[in-house]
Amino acid sequence: MSTLTKVLIVLLTFASIVLCAIVVTYVANADNYKQKYDDQFGRYQSAKKNEDNAKTQLNNTIEAKDRDAEKLGEQIALLKEEKSKLEIDLATVIRERDNANDKVRNWVSTVTDFSKTLENYENLLKNALRDRDLKEAELIKQDKELKDTTAALMENMAIVRQLQDESKRLLEEKTELQNKLDQYLRQFGKVIGEPMPVTPEEGAVSLAPPTTDIDLSGSITEIDLKNLLAEISIGTADGVKEGMRFHLTRGDKFICDLVILDVWPERAVGWIELLQDQPQNQPQVNDKVSTNL
Amino acid sequence: MSPVVQSRGKKITAADNLYTVILAVAFLAVFATAVFVAYQCYTQYGTFFKIQ
Repeated sequence: MSTLTKVLIVLLTFASIVLCAIVVTYVANADNYKQKYDDQFGRYQSAKKNEDNAKTQLNNTIEAKDRDAEKLGEQIALLKEEKSKLEIDLATVIRERDNANDKVRNWVSTVTDFSKTLENYENLLKNALRDRDLKEAELIKQDKELKDTTAALMENMAIVRQLQDESKRLLEEKTELQNKLDQYLRQFGKVIGEPMPVTPEEGAVSLAPPTTDIDLSGSITEIDLKNLLAEISIGTADGVKEGMRFHLTRGDKFICDLVILDVWPERAVGWIELLQDQPQNQPQVNDKVSTNL
Repeated sequence: MSPVVQSRGKKITAADNLYTVILAVAFLAVFATAVFVAYQCYTQYGTFFKIQ
């Protein structure tokens, strides 16, 4: 064997060993690409599954959203319809409320007028009761006077009966005396003249003329509430006399009475009676006065 | 292998069997490397050459 062959054998062996060491080192340290590929492929599969799941969920969500949108659209339509009905009801209720308010105002004014009228009637009633008490007192007084007058009349009737009896007796005596005188004068040819009564005969009782209302009316020209005196625009020229009672009125309202104390031709002054406490019912200038209501 | 007869001088030389052993060692190293590479390929990729 030649030297060259030997050298080549040694070099070949050495190179083989070195190369084998390099190859072993490289292969031992090489990455496991298949494992990496499997890992990446698994991740890819899971990502794809996740994507499919996400798409499915997205589709389900979109369908659910569409369904909800349809339902919400129906609900919105129903609510709009209900809203329009409620608006119509609201307008009706507002109209009814306004009508009711008008009625309330009318009733309030009516009640106010009624209470005022009632107050006036109460005052009139009080005045009427007061007048009735006065009339009753006067009636009792007149009843007493009537009883006294009746008793006096009975006495006078008894006296009249006595006088009639006496008159009858005197008449008989007169007739007897006249007969005697007639017989006596006939002897001398004379006759008794028509006897004349010493006192004139009273005329027949005539009926009193029918009473009529005085019906005087005027107005207040001056007033003094402090002394309860008032002056009116009519006097003796119109027929006003002392003691006359006038009634003061303002419109349909009774104010008070006025009893005349002093009279002049064109005016008269009187005393205020039945004055009311309310300030609006106090007598004023230009209030009407009349003898009859 | 038989020892080489030294006909010219007394130069000492290795026997040819030594180089045969060296070649065997080299062959064994290459073979072991190939086996190792094949094992690694099979364990990692499941095949020796085919690319899946």
